[in-house]
Amino acid sequence: MCSEPSPPWRPASALDEWVQREARPISLRQLTFFGRTLTENRLLSVANYVRTELPTRIAHRLRDMQTLPYVVVTNPNMLHVYEQYNKAFEKLRRVPEIRTIADNDRYCDVIHQTLEEHLTVIPRLAMGMLECHDLMGADRIDKFMNTLLRSRISRRVIAEQHLALTETFNSPWKHPDAHTNTESQNDFVGEVFLRCNAKEVVERCGKMATELAKQAYGEDLPVPEIRIQGHLGATFPYILGHLEYIVGELLRNSIQAVTERRRNHSPPPPIDVLICEAPQHVIIRISDQGGGISRDVLPSLWSFAKGAHSQTRLQNLHKVPKMAATMQELKVPDSERCDRDKNGNFKTRGKRQPDKSLSSLTSRSPTLRLGMGLPMSRVYAEYWAGSLEVHSLEGYGVDAFLQISKLGNKNEQLTTRASMDAV
Amino acid sequence: MFLRQVLRATSRKEFSRLGTRVGRRRLFGSVPPPISPATQRWAYPSSAANVGHDEVSKLASQSLHPLSLSDLVKHGRPPLSAGSLFDSANFSSRLLPVRLAHRIQALRNLPFIVVSNPHISRIYNNYLHSLSTLLPYAERPIKTLEEEIRFTEIMADLVGTHSNTIPILARGFLECRKYISPSEVKRFLDEHLRARIGTRLIAEQHIALHYSSRLHGDPNVLPQKDESSSYIGVIDTALRPEKIIRNCESFVSEICELKYGVRPSLVINGEVDTTFTHVPVHMEYIITELLKNAFRATVEHGNEREPVEVTIAAAPAELLGKGNNQVWTTTDENSMHRELGVDAGSAATASSSSASAGNIQPLPLDHSTPCVTIRIRDRGGGIPPETLPNIWSYSFTTVSEDEPQGSGNPANSGTVGALQTISNAGPGSSLAGLGYGLPLGRAYAEYFGGGIALQSLWGWGTDVYLSLRGVGRIP
Repeated sequence: MCSEPSPPWRPASALDEWVQREARPISLRQLTFFGRTLTENRLLSVANYVRTELPTRIAHRLRDMQTLPYVVVTNPNMLHVYEQYNKAFEKLRRVPEIRTIADNDRYCDVIHQTLEEHLTVIPRLAMGMLECHDLMGADRIDKFMNTLLRSRISRRVIAEQHLALTETFNSPWKHPDAHTNTESQNDFVGEVFLRCNAKEVVERCGKMATELAKQAYGEDLPVPEIRIQGHLGATFPYILGHLEYIVGELLRNSIQAVTERRRNHSPPPPIDVLICEAPQHVIIRISDQGGGISRDVLPSLWSFAKGAHSQTRLQNLHKVPKMAATMQELKVPDSERCDRDKNGNFKTRGKRQPDKSLSSLTSRSPTLRLGMGLPMSRVYAEYWAGSLEVHSLEGYGVDAFLQISKLGNKNEQLTTRASMDAV
Repeated sequence: MFLRQVLRATSRKEFSRLGTRVGRRRLFGSVPPPISPATQRWAYPSSAANVGHDEVSKLASQSLHPLSLSDLVKHGRPPLSAGSLFDSANFSSRLLPVRLAHRIQALRNLPFIVVSNPHISRIYNNYLHSLSTLLPYAERPIKTLEEEIRFTEIMADLVGTHSNTIPILARGFLECRKYISPSEVKRFLDEHLRARIGTRLIAEQHIALHYSSRLHGDPNVLPQKDESSSYIGVIDTALRPEKIIRNCESFVSEICELKYGVRPSLVINGEVDTTFTHVPVHMEYIITELLKNAFRATVEHGNEREPVEVTIAAAPAELLGKGNNQVWTTTDENSMHRELGVDAGSAATASSSSASAGNIQPLPLDHSTPCVTIRIRDRGGGIPPETLPNIWSYSFTTVSEDEPQGSGNPANSGTVGALQTISNAGPGSSLAGLGYGLPLGRAYAEYFGGGIALQSLWGWGTDVYLSLRGVGRIP
């Protein structure tokens, strides 16, 4: 650790200039709007929006990091993240205006490469923050992490959305009449899945979490049944990867708690999922009988830095960067990403992992406890103007409430997003 | 429509009667407290009692002793010996003047024009009067039975004098609404209400101990030690949540059937057999309020076939065995309370300070479930999102919206609307059913370090989480 180099000095003026600019928030509605009536001009204007927006948002986070105590930024993990951000900033701010489709394709390659390089950010950041928790105070760390993660989500959303729109634009069936390309043909508009079905998402995530649990605990061990009731037809537009991550984390927690509490009993009590649809939102309630959360854990439940098991969490986090590489290769064949040329193959589209950094987290083994599933999930939920609450019945079980705003119906999402981006 | 309103009014009266009924029954047992003629005469003194400004400032500068359940049971199980009863009296006489002085101080810090209001000044004078009656005992400890009897009468006077404080204050604040902001009123009432819970509990506890010890009655009747009773004063050391829930259920069901002709059923699951130490009247108040809401919503949503589900959870015993009571006194928890801005003197966590200072020997845990969480889950359609922000304000009942007294303006249902409701209740009424249900229930729950959380599923139902802390060791 002592041999670790200190951060190189860079002139601050370039960054200063970008920090002057405000982020221009965009709503999910706008994202889909562009996708539905895609023309060359529209695509190029989106490209240029992304071109100026990414370095602006990165600049704000860089300045954030620069204001952290020196001792924190020189932590090897933090330094890694800082350098990643700097590298991305330097690369993205130099991209000249995008005037042609060819320009755009080159730009997409840059974005794609940057997204790949940043896959290690979350685990490294989490490790750095755990290592620094006594250097700058847990509350400040949590605030920093929340802002940073939120901004990271926003950048990845607009970047991935642009990649997806470019894909759509280049797809063979899109041309010549772009205007008939509506959801009847494809439920995706770019990254936005227009008709997320809550029940299907819960079922899919439940299946995956159950399989993972069986891998970890053995096939013979009875895993709790997942029962779904309520408004089973509820649909809403959402980014599927985000929803699957949150629901997956919640179900994983529940299955784990129930299974570990009742190792010798069979059958274990079921996990009850309720889907409740209202005009403005959908609530997914997940109730388990896994024994609840004890009082001494409760205060640090939503914190990235607080909590009792920080050492174990650190060790577990060390395993994630490696996993991120291997799981990626397993899940997403390289060919799919690299062959993303003008005649992209859309057969694999439905299976594409929208946010690859999430998929490595989603598919990790249940024994690998990182202690950030809940705070991360909350950041994701709040990002799209939703919320995540947990109520513990100590000695009995936990109820988790995920509230999702039905973004497609609401205009005020823009302002909500604006205020959140301004954080 | 008219019939509906009449029915509502009826049930409202019924509901409000409950608070009084439950309160009296448990607090005073079979022996009603003697109300001396002096009490009546002194109930609403027209002028300030004889208490110096310095006296109040001096007392108010002392910090409040954070009251815990273990404070209230530390004098042992009744019947108490004369010595223990004196201890209890002296404990009360030590705490109460400081508490009253803090309230007086808070009243004094209100704008002059507000305290000049006859209602507010009446309350202010009540407090001055009560303090003046207590001051003599703060100087010299109680050593004889005669002194103890007089002191208990003063306690009864205190409880009686202040029983209507909240409606009177509400009327006063309503009349002063031009001169004080709703948020200031809310802040004052919030604090006042919480402080009041502790003050009354101290007084009521001593009164209850006094009567259950029966040292003063007929000399021929020997105090008999009732081993089977789990009560210490107003505290039940083997409180069975399931029993309270069933009691409240039958009461609320009656009202519900009277009003609607139907009622939902209620199922209880989880740790049905658990017991812990708590104040039954507090719990009855809270559960009744919550069940009223659940039943009403379920029936009005046309879902009376769907049972209201109550789940009782008890914190596992092994958690508590691992230390003395470190589980309750973690710094996180204390800081949490500070963050909530709860009056330090009223929102006492079950702290260890009194236990170590007092004469309690740590005993093996008889009832090792000091934290009980109760979930009440209904299928009543939930709470409209636009209503949700108001549910913890005093002003609010979802029922009163279409009733005439709200001056017909739903936008007006802020603090003023609520105060209107309260102050219309007039003297002699209890708070129950007047829009105080949830906030007052929460104040009771938070008082000993518990809480109430609510989760609405609009279009489906509501889940309410009530957590209560008990006390681990009983002498």
